[in-house]
Amino acid sequence: MISLVKQHRLPTFSKSILIIVGGYGSGKSEVAVNLSRQLVNAGSAQVAIADLDIVNPYFRSREASEQLTSLGIRTINPTGGQHYADLPIILPEVKGAIEQRQGVLVLDVGGDDVGARVLSSLSGSFEEGAYEMLLVLNGNRPFTADLDGCLKMINDIESSSRLKFTGIVSNTHLLEETTAQIALDGLELARQVSRRSDLPVAFLSGLKEIIECDEFDNVDVPILPLERLLLKPWESSAGDE
Amino acid sequence: MAKVLMKGNEAIAEAALRAGAEGYFCYPITPQTEVAEYLSKRMPEVGGMFLQGESELAVANMLFGAASTGKRVFTTSSSPGISLMQEAISYMAGAELPAVIINIMRGGPGLGGILPAQADYFQAVKGGGHGDYRTLVLAPSTVQEAVDLTMLCFHLAQKYRNPVMMIGDGMIGQMMEAVEFPESYEEPPLPSTDEWAATGALDRKARIIKSLFLDPVGLENNVLILEKKYQQMIREEVRCESYKISAENKILIVAYGTMARICQTAIDELEADGVSVGLFRPISLYPFPEKEILREATRKNIKSVLTIEMSMAQMMEDVERAIQGRRPVHFFGRSGGIVPTPEEVKEQVLKVLSIKRRTAKKK
Amino acid sequence: MAVDSKTVFDRPVTLRDVVTHYCPGCTHGVIHRMVSEVLDELGLRERTCGVAPVGCSVLCYNYFDTDFMEAPHGRAPALATGFKRMRPDMIVFTYQGDGDLASIGMGEIIHAANRGEKFTTIFVNNAVYGMTGGQMAPTTLPGQITTTCPMGRDTSLTGEPIRIAELLSALATPGYIERVAVHTPAHILKAKKAIRKAFTLQRDNKCYTLVEVLSTCPTNWGNTPGEAIEWLDENMMKYFPLGCYKDYVEPEGS
Repeated sequence: MISLVKQHRLPTFSKSILIIVGGYGSGKSEVAVNLSRQLVNAGSAQVAIADLDIVNPYFRSREASEQLTSLGIRTINPTGGQHYADLPIILPEVKGAIEQRQGVLVLDVGGDDVGARVLSSLSGSFEEGAYEMLLVLNGNRPFTADLDGCLKMINDIESSSRLKFTGIVSNTHLLEETTAQIALDGLELARQVSRRSDLPVAFLSGLKEIIECDEFDNVDVPILPLERLLLKPWESSAGDE
Repeated sequence: MAKVLMKGNEAIAEAALRAGAEGYFCYPITPQTEVAEYLSKRMPEVGGMFLQGESELAVANMLFGAASTGKRVFTTSSSPGISLMQEAISYMAGAELPAVIINIMRGGPGLGGILPAQADYFQAVKGGGHGDYRTLVLAPSTVQEAVDLTMLCFHLAQKYRNPVMMIGDGMIGQMMEAVEFPESYEEPPLPSTDEWAATGALDRKARIIKSLFLDPVGLENNVLILEKKYQQMIREEVRCESYKISAENKILIVAYGTMARICQTAIDELEADGVSVGLFRPISLYPFPEKEILREATRKNIKSVLTIEMSMAQMMEDVERAIQGRRPVHFFGRSGGIVPTPEEVKEQVLKVLSIKRRTAKKK
Repeated sequence: MAVDSKTVFDRPVTLRDVVTHYCPGCTHGVIHRMVSEVLDELGLRERTCGVAPVGCSVLCYNYFDTDFMEAPHGRAPALATGFKRMRPDMIVFTYQGDGDLASIGMGEIIHAANRGEKFTTIFVNNAVYGMTGGQMAPTTLPGQITTTCPMGRDTSLTGEPIRIAELLSALATPGYIERVAVHTPAHILKAKKAIRKAFTLQRDNKCYTLVEVLSTCPTNWGNTPGEAIEWLDENMMKYFPLGCYKDYVEPEGS
């Protein structure tokens, strides 16, 4: 059967550690979770995702851990009662996974420089050149709405994490109110940031139904289709609709 | 202004600034800390005052002192912190001071948990602190509504010179939604703060801002002055919304805040299955929309009312009071941070309907 | 009578022409008068807001002719903080007793002092809860009899009396903290100097200022006014030495 779904160029990585960082509400967790799924689909043998979000109490990637585990992805999150805690819990397994470098490790880090500070304590474990650190950009968030805000975010996160970015993820969206134009305007912002920061746009990400629009046919960066996995209690998952 | 994506807590913070808040006092507590973090950046930018106090007890009393200047001031906290603030809230009500207090509720009692709950309904609506007083209480169900109601809170606080509280469960504070801020903020005229604020006794008599009235006649008189305001609130500040209320409804759900949104999803799905259900959503919890609920609940086809909460039958008491026994009132709720799913709501609706059917058959 | 007589002593404008509720021999009146004189002399009355405590001086807003707030028990420093932060151009003072400040309001006073809030605290220490009828206070002396330590304060059960001036002086934040007494004319003059210094530093937006005033409570101590003065002089002065515990020093480079 011929799939009618458009096939964009999907993001691929040669590095074994993918650190997903960005401002609050940039959609980091959604990107990290979907990226892990994509890596499994693309045939990566071992994929693990670690929730390093110590700033958000809700809507963290650990909430999708059941779905991810069923796909064969190893999830490294606090368990039991600590799953729900607002304590800054960094499991020793995280350090182990970074240093062992088996398969691909996706790190979902909390928002802003405050959330990225957690990387600083782990920074000794990262071998230079062995990781990708991706800035997830959402141009509809107040502090990253323009070039200056984005550059400041890069600067702030780099100094709090003690790690350097290697690329940008254009993830501009307004949740269910996102249009193709909003995502494309965001890509333009990501390109401006790319020119000024010398960081490549690693990929664009967006809800499946948006990025299947014709407007994305000629986009020259890889595209990661997103399926929302972190839902609000009154939302039914995209598959049901 | 274009829409931006904001976390409820940030949106509340920004809305307060747009409503002219000049002072903010805080103490960190999950799940509302983002308000403080946001304002620690933004307050200095707009020339306002940001202060992190040593406890919620102190913070609420700082608010008391700050409100005495006549300026617009506020605080935000979450359940255990709000408990500590009750002292100052009672005093501010007694001294007729305007202040805005926002509670992003988590599960209790005690330290409870950090997940969303509506378990502070009694505390907010029935007084919280000691004495004969009320706080005006509003409850948003979307981030946009949190913005609009935050701004309204500041107006109402000044209008009534009374503490005004907005309560939202943790979901309201933590979730991201697209919001729009009004270009400019306009509000109806308010009485001048010159009449009562402590601004120094220059060319006027010295003013005393107090809630102490040792003479019982004086104290009763103060209580009656407050009572008059609460009666005015009941006349002028009832706010509510209905969803899919129609002549076909057999059952009326009453829910507020996040819970109401979950009920909307359930109602849509029930509608698709041929079951007609209406939703009544109180927006002001004090004053409670008693007449409005009674009107909707006593429509000809409505057989019963179902109150759904993220708490244990707290609002239900007000619903029962409003309905005055004219329809059976059922309750469904989850607590401790567990948010009922649309499926659970549907199940409860069908259960209540089947109870009705069974009793109808017996007759 | 001589027509050219001139007034050498009068009521300060800030002190209202009313009868106070304070007992004979209580020194609240003297302290009120000195605060009023200072506000008069510095011309601050019209831009001052006081904060009344819970305690014997709960009604002090009836005696000072300035704007006033009445605080919950112990919270005067929090009210003063909120007010002063919103109106840094105004003069704010809290008037607190030992139960209010050193017991229920210890958290608020330490943090206000440590933040360097620019208001003045008049701390009246009479070693007893006056308002509620003479119960043990954090400043009650060892062995002192009160209604809640009828056999005398047993420090093995209740700890030693708290020395507030010393305690707050340990904070690193700049401030001005002095302990004074008002039981003799000479002490009154020194006390007034300290109060004047405190309000002057506040007026010049310098630092947090606190003047601890040793005060009498003949009614609750069970003394005549004269005996009360003697008791203060013999007992309180020993445990609570007078002096300037922390003087304001201009920060370097200013």
